Amino acid sequence: MKELFPIKQVNGFIFSLLLTVIALSVYFMDMSFKVGMTILLITAFIQAIVQFVLFMHAGESEDKRTIFTTLYYSALIALVTIFGSLLTMVWDMM
Amino acid sequence: MEFFERFALPHPDPMIYASMVAIVVVSIAIVAGLTYFKKWGYLWNEWLTTTDHKRIGIMYLISALLMLFRGGADAVMMRIQLSSPEMEFLNAQHYNEVFTTHGVVMIFFMAMPFVIGLMNYIVPLQIGARDVAFPRLNALSFWMFFAGAMLFNISFVVGGSPDAGWTNYFPLAGNEFSPTVGVNYYMWALQISGLGTLMTGINFLVTIFKMRAPGMKLMKMPMFTWSALITNVIIIFAFPVLTVALLMGTLDRQFGTALFTTGSGGMDMYWANLFWVWGHPEVYILILPAFGIYSEIISTFSQRNLYGYKSMVGSMVLISLLSFFVWVHHFFTMGQGALTNSIFSITTMAIAIPTGIKIFNWLLTMWKGKIRFTVPMLYSVAFIPLFTVGGVTGVMLAMASADYQYHNTMFLVAHFHNTIIPGVVYAMLAGLTYWWPKMFGFKLNERIGKWAFWFNVIGFVLAFFPMYLTGLDGQARRMYTYSESTGFGPMNMIAFVGAGLFAIAFILIAYNVFYSFKHSPRNIGDDPWNGRSLEWATHNPVPAYNFAIEPEVESSQAFWDHKQKKHNLFKGKISKIHMPNNSGIPIIMAGILFVFGFSFVFSIWPAVIIAAVAFFACMIYSSFENDQGRYISEQEIKETEAKFGGDSK
Amino acid sequence: MNIDQTKPLEYGTHKNEMNILGFWIFLGAEIMLFATLFTSYFIYENRIGSGPSGAEIFEITPVLIETIVLLTSSFTIGLAINAMRLNRTKATLWFLAITLVLGATFLSVEIYEFIHYYHIGVTLQTSGFTGILLTTLGTHGAHVTFGLFWGIAIFLQIKKRGLTLETANKSFIYSLYWHFLDVMWIFIFSFIYLKGMM
Repeated sequence: MKELFPIKQVNGFIFSLLLTVIALSVYFMDMSFKVGMTILLITAFIQAIVQFVLFMHAGESEDKRTIFTTLYYSALIALVTIFGSLLTMVWDMM
Repeated sequence: MEFFERFALPHPDPMIYASMVAIVVVSIAIVAGLTYFKKWGYLWNEWLTTTDHKRIGIMYLISALLMLFRGGADAVMMRIQLSSPEMEFLNAQHYNEVFTTHGVVMIFFMAMPFVIGLMNYIVPLQIGARDVAFPRLNALSFWMFFAGAMLFNISFVVGGSPDAGWTNYFPLAGNEFSPTVGVNYYMWALQISGLGTLMTGINFLVTIFKMRAPGMKLMKMPMFTWSALITNVIIIFAFPVLTVALLMGTLDRQFGTALFTTGSGGMDMYWANLFWVWGHPEVYILILPAFGIYSEIISTFSQRNLYGYKSMVGSMVLISLLSFFVWVHHFFTMGQGALTNSIFSITTMAIAIPTGIKIFNWLLTMWKGKIRFTVPMLYSVAFIPLFTVGGVTGVMLAMASADYQYHNTMFLVAHFHNTIIPGVVYAMLAGLTYWWPKMFGFKLNERIGKWAFWFNVIGFVLAFFPMYLTGLDGQARRMYTYSESTGFGPMNMIAFVGAGLFAIAFILIAYNVFYSFKHSPRNIGDDPWNGRSLEWATHNPVPAYNFAIEPEVESSQAFWDHKQKKHNLFKGKISKIHMPNNSGIPIIMAGILFVFGFSFVFSIWPAVIIAAVAFFACMIYSSFENDQGRYISEQEIKETEAKFGGDSK
Repeated sequence: MNIDQTKPLEYGTHKNEMNILGFWIFLGAEIMLFATLFTSYFIYENRIGSGPSGAEIFEITPVLIETIVLLTSSFTIGLAINAMRLNRTKATLWFLAITLVLGATFLSVEIYEFIHYYHIGVTLQTSGFTGILLTTLGTHGAHVTFGLFWGIAIFLQIKKRGLTLETANKSFIYSLYWHFLDVMWIFIFSFIYLKGMM
């Protein structure tokens, strides 16, 4: 039975629940928008890394360089698209 | 009867009725011909269900050439309409439809399949592979592209063409200003073929990453394969944006959302933003394979190694990244602040740097080379100065403040045709001529090819350079007519003459195919151009299994060094080869998607639901299917090899 | 076919490796798909027209249930893959079944949430904001729905054929998909719901 619940994954699960609780603090506690967004950004991205690396085994195969390049590349372009669009359509709109 | 009224044409015209008749007649002729010559079985078994990358490549190329003539006919109609002031050849509505379909057909259904078709045929051969990574997915990609293309092309006879430009800006493309189903066709035709393209991107990345011949490190790949790799990276990250944009557009038009409207919190220009987040990388999806083709051709016909291999690769990687950083330059005049415009102005100009590096690399490859001016080389040599003019006018347009003057004028039209035609179209023609013997076992006639080339270049210059002048004088794009007092008349007449010469060039190219099929010698051997990369190390035309023995590579000019330095490419022995089975599933699924798209265009919901269920049923069926492929026996390979000249290399 | 015995079953052949790499690249495209939806959501977030804003319509309870259910299902599918690598067919099937039940629970709560929105007059047509909100949630929900059917197909195949090179490969790829949907949900949870309720 024990080998069916490897400690690495159990810890990962507990950790992700913990991150969810921390993220929830922005709802239950009073804080400024800046602090709240910082907490959300940090918890969300750590969650994503936990999933990708711990659960999805992104680094285990011989193609891990390709896989990580894909992830970095998509993250970069995703961020450029999000912030570029926000800049153009909202922040810098006259 | 009420049900059928929705299929009626909103803006009928004798020309459209004539095309309708032509379509029906041609369809009947094809069906009758196939039945009479008993070719249905051949067509189904050898082509429609094939998973062979070479046949799929050829089908892409045939579709692309057909679409080239369709889009070309649109272009000629536009040039006739604008040839003199107050012309009454097309009315405003038809002019709108014609420039819309011209743009969509040329970009999505001509340039894209042309690029992907050449990649399909050549990339696996260049890396010494037997097929692509997912042969059946490849067939599905092709058939989805084809379903999208057909869906788009029936629009003008059933329900009416889209007429909001190929950029399809909202609110013009919204229900209020485009009440017919035309724009729905646009949404679904692009959605279906776009998803097919995305799958092509995944397929080719895996192929290039995982199926290279032993010894072929990434930095030993031929340049066309490199360009294909970078192109597919861009496809993978750009096409999902289009998917979302089209989804949002469909929701707006058919489900009444308020996304691209001007009220209820909608934002019409957000369509433009999403469209160009996809659209600018799309430009590089088209041009990078062209750069790859030119690199191959210039190196082959200068008989020198490509100059600056590493900088070629580096500049393409840089272009692929930068291509996602520049999209706002398509709408500098929207009303955003100077900060945004400055940022995107600078990123845009920055692209000129890696592109410039490539231009110099090609020039330095030719420097001191023993140049042979064949047809592919002529196109490549013409490309360099003409594309540079297009690039330099691009830098002019990149200056945000100056762009207020050029925006949406014929200057812009001249600029992008000046990059796309010498950049992409010439590359496709050059690549097609260059690899033609590989595909069909005979060369295209050089003399007719050179005539076509000169008509092409002179026609191009005459057709598009006048637009720079009228554009600077203020002639707006997409205007169906102009008055004589504007003074645009003479220049537009020159452009019309150029378009005529251009059209003759393409007729000559079509004639050349016919002529060469009848008259060209078939004994050209395996290496008619004295080539450099692996595709020339197998036979012409290529046997189903590509290489009898898997090649082993030692340099980036594998075949050249095999000939010059006596590298031994084929060290192993012939043994049985695993091949994928044919499958009818891809064409059936694409057919279902066609029905799905068509029904969705006309909001026939029961048919939409049935088609969707059928589509998923096909997916489940293929998931449970146990298809292990087949083997070509050693005996059969040896017999085939013997037919090609005996030596079992 | 060359079978590499040193690697787990799902990586056992070259074909299997290609399938997994191909799926990772597909996930790259999916990241971009959701990034575009998020871009759109942020653009429309405050464009509410005459409709309600996020703060007025979001409720913490169903969202929290959805989050915990999906996180747990992501954990159980991880356990299924672990069991698969131990070659424990039965345990694999059990964990897969639990994952599917949790997925169905998630979907039910989400449907409840949508019905609730409908009752308070929040539909696709209400405003730019509600339109993109429901489109984004709907796209994720459609992915989960597709995942449920896919999971059932894989469950049946393992049951029928056991853990073979192919079923192991498919299960692993399916687990990638399921984890990925969880990641996307985390972003929805953080940057749509919590940001909206903050």
